[in-house]
Parts: sequence; structure tokens; C-alpha cells
Amino acid sequence: MTTATRPRLLTFHFSPLATLASLVVLAAAIPLLYVVWNSLQLSGPQWAGLWTSRLPTLLWNTLSLALLVAIGSVLLGVSSAWLIARREFAGRRLAVWLMVLPLTIPTYVFAHIYTTLLEDDGWLGQLWIALFDSDQYLPDLFNVWGATLILTLAGFSYVFLLAHSALGVSTRSLEEAARIQGASRAEVFWRINLPLLRPAIAAALAVVVLHVLSDFGAVSMLQYQTFTLSIYLQMSGRFNYQAAAGLSLVLVLLSLTFLLLERFFRSRQRYYSTRQPRRQLRRRANMLETGLIWGWLGLITLLAFGLPLAWMLSWSWVAWQEQLIDAEFWGYVRNSLLVAVLAASVALVVALPVALYHARKRNLLGGILLQLSSVGFVLPGPVIALGILSFFLAQLPLLYGGMTALVIALVIRFLPLAVQSQDAAMAQLTPSLEQASRSLGAGPLETLWHITLPMIRGGMATAWVLVFIDALKELPATLILRPTGFDTLPVRIWIEASEEMLELAAPAALMLVIGTLPVLWILLRGERRGA
Amino acid sequence: MVLTMKAKSTLSALLLGVTLFSALPAVAGEALVIYSGRSDKFVKPVIKVFTEQTGIPVTLHSGKSTALLNKLMLEGAATSADLFLSNDAGNLQKGSDLDLFQPVNAALAAPIAANYRASDNSWIGLSARARVLVVNTEGEWANKLDSVFDLADPALKGKLGITNSTNGSYIAGVTVYMLAAGKEKTRQWLEGIKANAEGKVFNKHSKIVKAVARGKKQVGLVNHYYIYRHLAKYPEAPIKIVLPDQGPKDIGVAWNVAGVAISRHSKKRAQAEKLVAFLISEAGQKMFAEMNMEYPTRDGVSAAKQVPPAGSYKVADVPMAELGRQRDATLDLIEAVGMP
Repeated sequence: MTTATRPRLLTFHFSPLATLASLVVLAAAIPLLYVVWNSLQLSGPQWAGLWTSRLPTLLWNTLSLALLVAIGSVLLGVSSAWLIARREFAGRRLAVWLMVLPLTIPTYVFAHIYTTLLEDDGWLGQLWIALFDSDQYLPDLFNVWGATLILTLAGFSYVFLLAHSALGVSTRSLEEAARIQGASRAEVFWRINLPLLRPAIAAALAVVVLHVLSDFGAVSMLQYQTFTLSIYLQMSGRFNYQAAAGLSLVLVLLSLTFLLLERFFRSRQRYYSTRQPRRQLRRRANMLETGLIWGWLGLITLLAFGLPLAWMLSWSWVAWQEQLIDAEFWGYVRNSLLVAVLAASVALVVALPVALYHARKRNLLGGILLQLSSVGFVLPGPVIALGILSFFLAQLPLLYGGMTALVIALVIRFLPLAVQSQDAAMAQLTPSLEQASRSLGAGPLETLWHITLPMIRGGMATAWVLVFIDALKELPATLILRPTGFDTLPVRIWIEASEEMLELAAPAALMLVIGTLPVLWILLRGERRGA
Repeated sequence: MVLTMKAKSTLSALLLGVTLFSALPAVAGEALVIYSGRSDKFVKPVIKVFTEQTGIPVTLHSGKSTALLNKLMLEGAATSADLFLSNDAGNLQKGSDLDLFQPVNAALAAPIAANYRASDNSWIGLSARARVLVVNTEGEWANKLDSVFDLADPALKGKLGITNSTNGSYIAGVTVYMLAAGKEKTRQWLEGIKANAEGKVFNKHSKIVKAVARGKKQVGLVNHYYIYRHLAKYPEAPIKIVLPDQGPKDIGVAWNVAGVAISRHSKKRAQAEKLVAFLISEAGQKMFAEMNMEYPTRDGVSAAKQVPPAGSYKVADVPMAELGRQRDATLDLIEAVGMP
């Protein structure tokens, strides 16, 4: 065990921590290795065939969707974050909740609900016909605009969360200085606030865009051909795993390019404050402003949560009356919770060595491990599931058939969330505390247990919650890897929705929302303290 | 170092615990496992009767046929599936070609006409669906259509409802037209219906029927039971079924079958055959097919009375097994045309 504490970039030897972190990342990279291995089997002409027949359309479809969703999410996320962080108005704390609640609804549920609502006998369809007296121009979601609407509503909350916490930190001195120099309010926003927000927006956009690139549920319900859907169709319809792997590799390169760009923009500018950050003071809104603010936030809430919730409640009521909520249904609820709790707990534990190593050693290996652990975010769910399936069948056939393969696939998919939350918490912790503990004779494990872990409790809770929320909603990997006859809520929603059994899909979706509420409360606890 | 060892053992104990815990459900019971690509609501009632009669419990693992077939293939000998149930002969034959099934006893399969099962009995068709036209009876096209090839008529622009091209029934239909009428004619036909659909396709057959009933579309290409399902709910709906291509030189109606196969690696072959025997029996056939107003494949068992009786019209002369063998060629054709 090394006792050196000064950061060294290129020298490292394999401490137990490094070994452990490397093992975790190696396991997480199994699906990527699977993709690379399978793509290597593609011949030159096959690549050329893929290039001419598919790639141009897929690139255009995927990138235009990502761009549109990014724009939509920034519009909704930054505007709501600004109003909530900078104005004091009645119901402000409720508004924070309302902006985060859409995270409880999976993209495929959004897609299903909105296509149903927009049919000519759906609520929005009826409204349209009442307003325009015809259903001729009734909007249809099976195109890029529909996919944009759905993924924006399902994803803008990430932008809101990060922008909101960035706006909570005071920049008053800078703003006042600018005002004294004669800048107008608009100028202050463009020249001071927006540049300061840029790192937060960039980070949030990375999350949103990666979600778009890997989304399976919404695009397959809306039949919008992105990389992920096309990869799935290659695998499932044609049994062409090599073409699927080839397309996956292109998608991985695309995502990595995007991540590097994001890092570049984030690191180009840094702002330092010489004083302790103060909390931002919020200006009190007058009656008119409060009305306008709630008009905007209310519209967002209505579309991103109110309407879907009302739909779920009304169909769940039908299911309740027809006594369709039976023991089997509660079995799905139990299965979903079991899988999500297992995945979140395992992810929390295995992410720790990676985060610890990166935050403490700050060397090249740590950086590489941290990057490689993100593989779950850049590969589509079906591909991760397939990689894990093949690995288990070839290497660990005895463990196949239970929940192990499913839990591991979910951990790999959502490991980046756990690693990055814990890494961020570690980064804020000064190493001197740990050094003091060590110098007083405590061993590394004792120090970890008594000093480090209690100090990064918040980051660990966030990590657990984020993984739990995503694992609870996860569809494609669960569809492929669940044990025989083991149905979760997302699986049931998928099956019932494709059979148009709305009264069975709705209560399952409602249970996902209800199941996520307690953990969202944990996520927002900092918010309560601050407010 | 000691502490490090301790750290390792603590962690590995933790991981082992989680692993064991999560491996628990793997200890499956005595239940027969069916990978089912058919709607739960049509399968569950039939299975329930089977379990009541034989005492053999059944676990349904539902999903999309193609995805489950992939799973079956990848799992190989490790699979827990005893049977595979699919709504598409194409999938069943694909499974046979991939050697995923074991043939059932020839005597057992005999009551099912040879065209509705694999040549080696590795899958058995249980119920058939006809690919037909649903036509609005109040519109100008009420009595003008009698062939699927009419659907490419440019006069139908904006008036035709079709599903998106990943739909299994749609793909199977195109395979039949391709084999019965030739590749070039089918390619031209696809170009025509693509233009008529104006880029807007439906994700569900039921929505096509609804659109035709409301007059938003004049005609749609669907499986026959969707029409009767709609009529059961709305008896007054202005729609009718048209059995296409009945002239002496025409190809006849495209059929497809739903069927069952026993997994090659099933360790419960005897019980699995019992289930197949139950599904082939007259009572089983009646129940399985009638649930969805399909045609029983067993001779002498009739379909629901609303449905045009089998044998009263011409069916395209394409062996069901071809739906699997020609699927990739069909997908190539569909993609070459760029069907949405």
C-alpha cells in the first residue's frame, strides 16, 4: 500500500484499491468487448454495405433528434430553473418538486400515453376536434417532432436539476458590478449568468443527449429509426449480431465524441470566486409576476406530469373497478422493487473503488478507469444485455437463469451514475482529514469506514437514488435478461401496451411513479435544507 | 496487508451474498416453461384448462416472438424453455432452420394438415389468420376493391391504411405475395402502397380498422380477426371484410399460422408433448382458435361463426415454412423500397 499522497500523473503501482477498481471496470467493459469482437467479424464489403444502406439515415435521424431534444430541454429546464432559483413566489418549493416529478415516468410510458391521448377519441384528440372542428390536422407523433416532444418532456428535468443548483450559488457581486457599469438586465443575463451556467448546462446536456442516444422505449413505440432501434431490429428481426455490433460501435464513437466535446467546452473556461460562495438572494415576485411564473411552470407541469398522471389514474380506476389489481400485479411490483434495490446497492458498492481511486490518486489510470466505467451510458440497453447474456452463457453458465445476469447488466448500464456521484462527493472532501486519521494510526479500512464514507454520505445517497430510479424504469435489458416468468412493471407495461390493454398498463405505470416518490424525496432533501 | 485481506474478504462475502440471493429464483419448479410471443390474454385461459386437466403447472414467459427466438438460440442448452409459441409461421420455421426445436411424434401431429406444420414436425400450426381488406361501406371504394394489388392504385392516395414494416403479419403477407405473384410485381406494389400511405403508417392493426370505420381511410390491409373484434364492440360500424384475389387466375388470400414447438433442449419432453396434444385435440383447437376468432388448423374443427368458413374461399398456395425461409429476402425487398 502506497503512502504517497501527492498526485502523480504517470506513476502508479497496483495497490489493492487499483486492482479492485480495475476489476470493476473490466467487468463493466464486457459488453463493449463483445461489441468490438463482433464488429471485427464484419468484412470490408459488409461495412461498406452498412455505410451506404443505413448509416446516413441513422446518423441524420439520431443527430437531429438529439439536437432538437437538447434545445427543448434547455428551453424548459433553464427557464424553470431560473424562475425558481431567482424569484420568491408562493408555492416555490412545490415548483421544485413539480419540475423533477417527470423523472418518475419512463419514456415508453410517455410515448404510449401521448399517442393514446392524441388519437381522435383521446382527450387531446377530442379537444382538437372541439377547437378546430376537424381531425384532419390532428398532430401525429410518429416522426421526429413526436419523438422530440416525448424525450424532451421525459428528460428536461436533468437540465433543471443541474441549472437550478448552479443558479443557487450567488453571482450577485458580478451582476451588481455589471449593472453599475451600465449593463441592462438582458445584457447581464447574456454576459454574466449564461456563461456562468455553461458548465452546468453542458453537463446536463450530456446526460440528456446520452439518454436520447440510448433510448429504446420511446423510439420503438414511435417507430422512429435511431441507432438504438435499428440495432435492435438487426439483432431481433434478422439475427444479424455482427451488423448490430457494427452499428453499436459507430454509436459508441458518436457518444464518445460528444462526451469529449462536452468536456472540452466545460474545461475551457473556469471561474473562481475569491470569497466563500453566498446563497443567492431571491427577488420577491409581485402578483402579476407570480401569475406569469405559474402560468409557465403550470404549462410545463401539465404536459410533463399532470396529463400523464391523470391518464394513469383514470385507467387505474377502471382496472380497480374491474378488479384487475390482483396478487399477480403485486408480484410485478415486488419484482421491480427487488431488482431496482439490488441493482442500486450493488452499483453503490462496486462504484466506490473506482470513485475512490480516481478522486484520491488523480493519475492516468484513475482517469482511464473513470472514463471506461461510463460504457453503460454509451451502449444501447439491448446490446449490453446481449453482451452479458453471451458472457454468462460462455463463462458462468451455472449463474445463468437467476437474477444475477439481470442485476449485473443493470449495474453496468447505470454504473456511471454511481461512480460520478461518489466521485463528485469525494472531490469536495479534503484529503487532509484522511491523512490525519492515518497519522493517528488508523488503518486504510478504518479510515474509509470512520472518516471517508460518513463524509460522502450525501453523494452515496444520490448515487443509490439515481441508479434506483433508472433501474426501476429499465426496459430493454430487463426484457432480454429477466429470469423465466419473472415480470417487472416495465415488462408488463410493454406487453400490455402493445396489446392495447390500457387498463392493465396504467396501474403498472402508476406504481412506477409511486415507487420513485420516496427516493426522489431523498434526492431533494438538500433542496429542503437550503430553502 | 492484513486489513486489505480483510477488505477483500468482506467485499467478496458481500458480492457472494448478493449473487446467491439473486441466483435463488433460478431453482425453477416442475412447471413447463413456454416462451410465448402470443398475447397473454389468449394463452392464459387455455393454459389454465390444461393445468386443471393434467395437473402440470405452466410458466408463461411472454414477449415478442422474434426476441424470444433470439433468446432461445443464444441460450442453447442452458435454456429453461420447454416450448415456443409464436403468432408467425415465419418465426417458427426460422427456429426449425436454426435447429432450436425437436420434432413431435408424427402420429401426434397427423390431425393437422401438412401445410400447417413443419415438414419434420418440428413445429405445429395451431390457428390460422387470413390477410384481408377492411373496407368502408359508405365510401366511394365500398365495392371497387377485390385484390391486394388494387391497393397500389394511385387513386387511393391518402386513403389506405397499412402497418409499419416491422410488423410480423405484414412481413409474412409480403412474403406470400412475393412467392405467389413474383418479386418484381411485389416490388412495384410496395412502391405503390408506400406512395398511397403518404408516409403515415399505423403501429397497430386495430387502429387501421378504427380509421376505416371512421372514414379517415377507405381501405386497410389487416388480419381478419381485427375486423370482427371491432364489430363485436361496435356492431353498427360501416366496415366489411373483403377476401381478396379470388378470381380464377388470382393468387388467393394469404394465410399465416400461429403455432407451437418443443425446444430442442427441453428436459420435460413427455409433459411438453402432453401440452401439444392438448392444443391439437378438438377441444384444445376450438378454445385456442376461438379465443381470437382464428381458423383451427385441425380438419373438422370450424372457426367462429362470424368468420367466412375455411374452404369457402381460395387461399394462396404458399407452404407456411416458406414464410421463414424467405423472410430475409422479404426484409431486403421491404428495405430496398424503403417502406416506413
